[in-house]
Amino acid sequence: MTSETTASPNPLRSGLSMPRTPQACAVVVFGATGDLTARKLVPALYNLARGRLTPGGFSIVGFARREMTDDQFRAKMKDAVTQYSREPIQEDIWDSFARGLHYVVGSFDDTAAYTRLAERLAKQDAAHGAGGNRLYYLATPPHAYAPISQRLGEAGLSRGANGGWARLVVEKPFGRDLDSARTLDRDLRQVFRERQVFRIDHYLGKETVQNILVFRFANGIFEPIWNRRYIDNVQVSVAETVGVEGRGSYYEEAGALRDMVQNHLMQVLALVAMEPVASFRGDAVRDEKAKVFHAINAIDDIAADTVRAQYAAGAIVGEQVAGYRQEPGVPPNSMTETYAALKLEIENWRWAGVPFYLRVGKRLPKRATEVAITFNRAPLALFREMGGDNVAPNLLVLRIQPDEGISLRFGAKVPGTRSDVRPVNMDFRYGTSFSIDAPEAYERLLLDAMLGDSTLFTRWDSVEAAWNLLTPVLDAWGSGESPLQFYEAGSWGPGGADHLIQRDGREWHRM
Amino acid sequence: MAPDVTAIERITDAPITVEPGGIENAFAEIWRSTAGAGADESTTHLRVLNFVAVAGDEDGARRFAEVMDTLPGRQPCRGILAVANPAAGAVQASISAHCWRSATGVRHSCSEEITLRGAQERPLASAVLALLVPELPVALWLIGGVTLENGLVRELLAAADRLFIDTAAPGDVRRALRGARRACAEEGVAVVDLAWARMATWRSLVAQCFDGDDALRTLSRLQAIEITSGGAAPSSEALLFAGWLVSRLGLTIADLAPRPDGIDATLYDASRGVRLSVTASGEAGPLCEVRILTQAATFLVQQHNASGHMHVRAEWPDAPVHRTVAQRPEDDASLIGQALDESDDGSVFEDAARAALALLGDADASATGSSAAPA
Repeated sequence: MTSETTASPNPLRSGLSMPRTPQACAVVVFGATGDLTARKLVPALYNLARGRLTPGGFSIVGFARREMTDDQFRAKMKDAVTQYSREPIQEDIWDSFARGLHYVVGSFDDTAAYTRLAERLAKQDAAHGAGGNRLYYLATPPHAYAPISQRLGEAGLSRGANGGWARLVVEKPFGRDLDSARTLDRDLRQVFRERQVFRIDHYLGKETVQNILVFRFANGIFEPIWNRRYIDNVQVSVAETVGVEGRGSYYEEAGALRDMVQNHLMQVLALVAMEPVASFRGDAVRDEKAKVFHAINAIDDIAADTVRAQYAAGAIVGEQVAGYRQEPGVPPNSMTETYAALKLEIENWRWAGVPFYLRVGKRLPKRATEVAITFNRAPLALFREMGGDNVAPNLLVLRIQPDEGISLRFGAKVPGTRSDVRPVNMDFRYGTSFSIDAPEAYERLLLDAMLGDSTLFTRWDSVEAAWNLLTPVLDAWGSGESPLQFYEAGSWGPGGADHLIQRDGREWHRM
Repeated sequence: MAPDVTAIERITDAPITVEPGGIENAFAEIWRSTAGAGADESTTHLRVLNFVAVAGDEDGARRFAEVMDTLPGRQPCRGILAVANPAAGAVQASISAHCWRSATGVRHSCSEEITLRGAQERPLASAVLALLVPELPVALWLIGGVTLENGLVRELLAAADRLFIDTAAPGDVRRALRGARRACAEEGVAVVDLAWARMATWRSLVAQCFDGDDALRTLSRLQAIEITSGGAAPSSEALLFAGWLVSRLGLTIADLAPRPDGIDATLYDASRGVRLSVTASGEAGPLCEVRILTQAATFLVQQHNASGHMHVRAEWPDAPVHRTVAQRPEDDASLIGQALDESDDGSVFEDAARAALALLGDADASATGSSAAPA
C-alpha cells in the first residue's frame, strides 16, 4: 500500500522480496528520556535494525534536558529495549545498534544546544556515513513542537546536509482545536514544508487498519455493495478497559474527543468511507481521505447528535475501580469526558443517508476496537411465519484489536424439519491465518518516514477538516450545551449514548 | 499484532489408518466428534492451500511431518505426502489432524495431514489428485533427492501451481541446477529453489550495501568478488549467489579456471576485468562470506556461526560502517512459508541459475550475465 520512493537503479534489488530500506540517515529524537522513546520508538528502531530494514550508516541521536553521556543513554535504551521490544534483545545485534546511539543534552529552546546538535550530526555523517539525511522525531509535549521547529530552522537543520533530506515527525495531538492547530501548522510551516512534516497517527500503522483498504479494494465482492443502497449504518467503536493510568493531568487537557476521535476514529472512518484510489502512489490515499472529511456534514444539533460522559466508580473484570474524578491528577469537579459518542453523516453519492456512529470510552467492560457495518435487511421477511422473525441483518465486523479479524453474520437454517433461521458468524481471525510476528505500528511508520512515504501519515488538510468538524462540538460542550453524563466503570457507557442510536431505531453493535 | 497462535493440539493421538476412499469421511467424522466434545463452535476450517509433498524415503516423511507442525499455522492447508514405496503394494493411507490454539485457549485453525504410500506411481498420483481441495492452489514439494524425472512427480506436476525443489540436496550440483533451469523453462509452474531461498538474507544485505548513490557508483568500479562457501566443494547456494551477482551486474564470464575446492574466473564489464573466486572452506553452512572489492570501498557480509547473525561491513576509507543483523530462519517450514507469502516471477533465479551453470562450465548455459541486463 505504499508508493515506491526509491529512485535508485540498484541492479541487485531487482526481484528481491526484501522490504524497502531507506537511505542512510540520522534519527533525532526530541524527548529522548521520555516514555514514548523508551516504550515505542527505540524498541521499534531496534527491531527494524534487527530485521535488516535500517540502512548501513544509520544512527540515532537522543535530545533531552537531562544530563547524560552517550554510554548512559545507551544503557537506558538497552533497558528499554529489553523491557519493551517485541523481539528479545540479542547482544551482538544490540552492540551493533548501540554504536549508532548518541545523546545531546539541551532544553528545547536552547539555541546553543542546537549548535551542538548540528556539530554532532556533522560528526556522525562522517563516522556513520549518514549521508546528511535527518529525521526529527518530536516525542515531546505539544507545546514544544513550535520552539523545536524554530530552533532547528535557526540552526540550519531544517534541511539535510550535503543535499540530503530533513523530515519532521509530529505526534498527536496536533492542536487542541481548530485555532491552535492552525497556529501550530503556521509555526511549523515557517521552517518546514508540508511535504517534510509527517503527522503520525499510530492507528494507521496497525496492520488491521491497513487491511481495511485491502479488504475493500483487493476483493471484488464488497465494493459493489459498499454504499447507501446496501448499508444501513456504520459504527466505529473504541472501547478501553483502562482508566487514565496515572496520566490524569494530561487527560484533563485532552478528553476523549481530542485524544481519540479527532485522530484515530476519524482516520478509521475515512478508510471505511473513502472512494477507491487508482494507485497507491503519491498522495492518492490522502486525497481521497480528505474528500471524506470535507463531505462530512457539520453537526447541527450537538445536544442530540453527540454524547459526552465520564466514568464513575465501578468494577472492571471483578475489580473495584475508582471514578475518573478520584484518579490522581484529576480535579474532583472535572468536566472532562472519558466517553464520547457522535452521529455523523457523509454527504456524498455513496453515503448520503447512512449514519456513521462513533463511540470511544475508557473503563468499558472489554478492550476492543471495531468497525461494524450493518447491511439492510432482506426486502422480504420470507421466513417470518416459520420462526424467522429474528433474522438479524447481515453484519460485517472489522476487528482492529485485540482479536484482529473479520466476521460476517448471516442467517442460516437450523437443522430440522422446520425452517427456523438463526444468525451465525463466519469468522476470520487474522492471527490464525498469518501467524507471523507482524511489526509494531511504530516500526512501519518510522520506516515509512525514513523512506519519505507519507501515505500513512495525516496531511494538514485532513487535520484541519477534522478540527473544523469537532471544534464546534468542543465549544458547545464547554458551554454546557450537551450536559456531561456519567456511567459506571465496567458498563457500556451512559444511557444517553444508547438513546443517541435508539432514536434512529438502531442499536450499538455488541462488542 | 504478535502471533496469537501458540499451542498445537493433536486431534488424533497417532495417524489413523484408513482406506484411501474413506479419507474424506474419516476427516468429517474427526471434526464432528471433536466439535461434539465441546470444542469451540467457531472453529473454522480455513484452508488456503493444498500442500503436496513427494518423498523417496522415511527421512523425507520426517521432514514433511516437521513442516506440517508449523506451516499450517501460517498457511492453513491440507497436507498430502506421497511416498513411493515398492514394499507397500496397493495404496495405503493414514490421516491425522492438528489444531492451533490461541493463548486464550480458543481453537483457531486446523489442518489435515494425509500420508499415502504405494508401490505404483499412477494409483498413488490418482489418490493425491482426488484428495486436493478444489479451487485452492497446489504447492508441490520434492523432498530430498526426489527429482523431476520421478514418475509420480510427472503425474502431479500438471496440478501444481508452485514447485519447491532444493538444488542443495545431496547429489550432483550441476545436475540439480540443470533440473531447476529446465523446470523454470518447461514445466509451466512457478519454481522455488530452497537453496535460493536460503540466500535471501545474503542477497538483501549485499543489495543494501549499494543502495546509496556513492555505493552504487562503486559498482561500476568493481575489482573483485570473493565468495567463501561451506562444505568441501562450492555449494549450490554459493554458485547461485555468484550467478546472481554475475547476472544482475550484467557481467560476462571468461577465463574460467576450476580448482578442486572452487572456481576462479574473470568477469568482464565492457572492457574491464573483475576477478571472481568461489572457494569451499570446509566449514559448516552453505555460505560463509561474501567480499566485494571496489576501487573506493570493500563490502563484506559474513555469517557468524555461533549466533547465526550476519555481520555487514562497508569499509570506506573515511567512514567504515559495521552492523549486525538477524538471519531469516532457514528451516524447511520457514523457507516454504516465506516463499508462499511472496510473489516472484522467478526470472532473477532463472538468470542466476543459468550464470551458475556457466560458472560450472556448462555448455548449455549462456556464458553471459543477465538476460535483462541492468542499466
